[in-house]
Amino acid sequence: MSTLWLAPALVLYVLALSLFVADMVQRQGGLNRYALLALGAGAISHTMDLIARGLEAGNIPVGNFAQSLSFLAWIIALASIVMIARFKMPAIGAFTTPVIVVALGAAYVMMPNEAHKLPSTLRSAWLPIHVTLAFFGEALFMLAASVSLVYLVHESRLKAKRSLGMIGGKLPSLEKLDRINYRLLGWGFVLLSLAMVTGAIWAANAWGRFWSWEPIECWTLVTWLLYAGLLESRLAAGWRGRRAATLTIAVFTVLVGSYLGVNLVYPGKHGGSFG
Amino acid sequence: MTFELFILGLNHQSAPIEVRERLAFAETDVVPSLSQLKQIAPSVAEVALLSTCNRVELVAVAPDPAQAAQELREFLALDRRVAANIFESALYQFEGREAVRHLFRVGASLDSMVLGEPQILGQLKLAYTQAVRAETLGMILHRTFHRAFAVAKRVRKSTLIGHGAVSVSSAAVGLAREIFDSLKDKTVMLLGAGQMAELTARQLVKLGVQSLLIVNRTFERAATLARELGGTAVTFDNYKPYLKIADVLIGSVATARPLLGTEDIEPILRERRYRPMFLIDLGVPRNFHERLSSLENVYLYDIDDLGTAVTNSRAERAREAEKAEVFVAEEVEGFWRWLSGLELVPTIKDIRSHMDRLRDLEFKRHRAWLAALQPDEREHIESLTRGIANKILHQVTTELRRSGGFVDGVYAAEIARRLLGSHLTIEQGERDDSGDFFEEDVERRPLKRRGRR
Repeated sequence: MSTLWLAPALVLYVLALSLFVADMVQRQGGLNRYALLALGAGAISHTMDLIARGLEAGNIPVGNFAQSLSFLAWIIALASIVMIARFKMPAIGAFTTPVIVVALGAAYVMMPNEAHKLPSTLRSAWLPIHVTLAFFGEALFMLAASVSLVYLVHESRLKAKRSLGMIGGKLPSLEKLDRINYRLLGWGFVLLSLAMVTGAIWAANAWGRFWSWEPIECWTLVTWLLYAGLLESRLAAGWRGRRAATLTIAVFTVLVGSYLGVNLVYPGKHGGSFG
Repeated sequence: MTFELFILGLNHQSAPIEVRERLAFAETDVVPSLSQLKQIAPSVAEVALLSTCNRVELVAVAPDPAQAAQELREFLALDRRVAANIFESALYQFEGREAVRHLFRVGASLDSMVLGEPQILGQLKLAYTQAVRAETLGMILHRTFHRAFAVAKRVRKSTLIGHGAVSVSSAAVGLAREIFDSLKDKTVMLLGAGQMAELTARQLVKLGVQSLLIVNRTFERAATLARELGGTAVTFDNYKPYLKIADVLIGSVATARPLLGTEDIEPILRERRYRPMFLIDLGVPRNFHERLSSLENVYLYDIDDLGTAVTNSRAERAREAEKAEVFVAEEVEGFWRWLSGLELVPTIKDIRSHMDRLRDLEFKRHRAWLAALQPDEREHIESLTRGIANKILHQVTTELRRSGGFVDGVYAAEIARRLLGSHLTIEQGERDDSGDFFEEDVERRPLKRRGRR
């Protein structure tokens, strides 16, 4: 199925992306307001698309890989908007909008034309809860990785003594970036844990057991353990700053790798999607 | 009668500090002195006085600038009790358009010792309010000052002239804010109470630092400074245990070899659980070993690093100043067009023809009804209305002719035009006039309407 809303959403996201990047590069700044507006408009258009598909599917539209990518991109967009507005950190936009554009672009290309009905086993009230929790958790990890990238850029400038002037002045302080990173990781971890619990309950209802060694389950467990270790290293050993930022990015690449690998190579029962 | 805007003054380029300090006005002196000025310089119609540590300037409007300038020189000599020959050679004078340009440049901090420094705009605003209080301003200076403020805002907003650190201490403070989010919960330790370290500490305290440790070889000096800045003095033999709570460490000790190396700081970092440390090395020879820079979450800047940052941002400001000069040139042209328009005063004729137009309009509106009247009745109505118009005009024109002076001449003309609406076209006159005459927002609409008269 195709809706009229997906292409405009994609165009608006691309616009937001270019404005965020221009705002970073241009010294005078001031473009970030328009960038945020474009991102917001894109998210609205994207929401319309998801509503149309959701009505058709009779549940949240995550029935295939393309749809689940689109849904994920939407959640990242929402989380970015909140993050940029709440922490006044337009720099984040330059890192998250490329991900949104790539995810939605891929979804757009792969989106099957025929109407998609969810298999009856997946039609459950647990589906939106489980998937939304999981995706929100992942979105927060993705934001944490973006904040960490900003941190590394800013930190290396300060170390190299090139900080004064240029983008330096527009970036938040290291302390703030580090603190936000920590908070995002914490909340992401909570959401991921809840996603695992709800998934297990749902699995127990639908398939009769909590855990079935699905590829996605195994990989999620791995990333969950890695994030737990990351948080632990900060709390116990005081690993913060550069080290924490590097690790956040590393663990996030594992997460992305497992997401893509599971969906494209071993779909398993998650049926080519997280549904 | 035409009036000329002019500026008489001296600044850091034209006069040495010995001269500037003798002419400088204390803030509380300005209003009384301006009131005095009216007697000493009777030919000055409007005047404002700007006195800062880098300049003393009189911005004035007078029919004869040469004579007025002479009176103002006498005023300076009398009021400041300085022989005129001491400062006379340092004075510069700008007239007309050049005076506008100078005032705009001063406000935009293009004439400052440190390009782009932000205080001058506040000082200019103060000069304006003082002149308002002394009641020495008229329409031209009101407008000129407001315009100068607007130009300054525009320059600050659309160029980077105020960006970057222009002193070593402000560069250090700027860096501290890039590393730390809030300085309130941070501890600053001065290792050596040198002058530059003290300056930096003062700025940090101003930004909210509450915990300050001061270490000095001469303990007395540390104690004095600690009392003054609200810190704690620590003896030189006993400072190392405190290092672990220092988030910002400023070194300015005279020493042959570095005081602190990686072997000192590494264990401290572990104790601090790798919370960042900002090391500012103002000492020559250096106080902190350069290898410290390689430690995680340690940011080390020595005096050369900070000096380079200062040189860079000064160069940057000079480049931005070129952009600002373009804005100023544009603004001067726009403002000058308004000011010269003001001095052509075909006001009386203007108002008369405006009245005639209004009468015509009313006659046209009642054409049908008038056509039904007898010719002599119609004539009667015409002479009656002309009579009313003339009565109104008589009062206005005699008043305008009588007042040849300034606040009376040009200004009264402008006010009369405003009151009678003759500066507007008829169509506009029937709409609501927002009356931006004395308001600050005039800068947004540089009197386009006047051109349509």
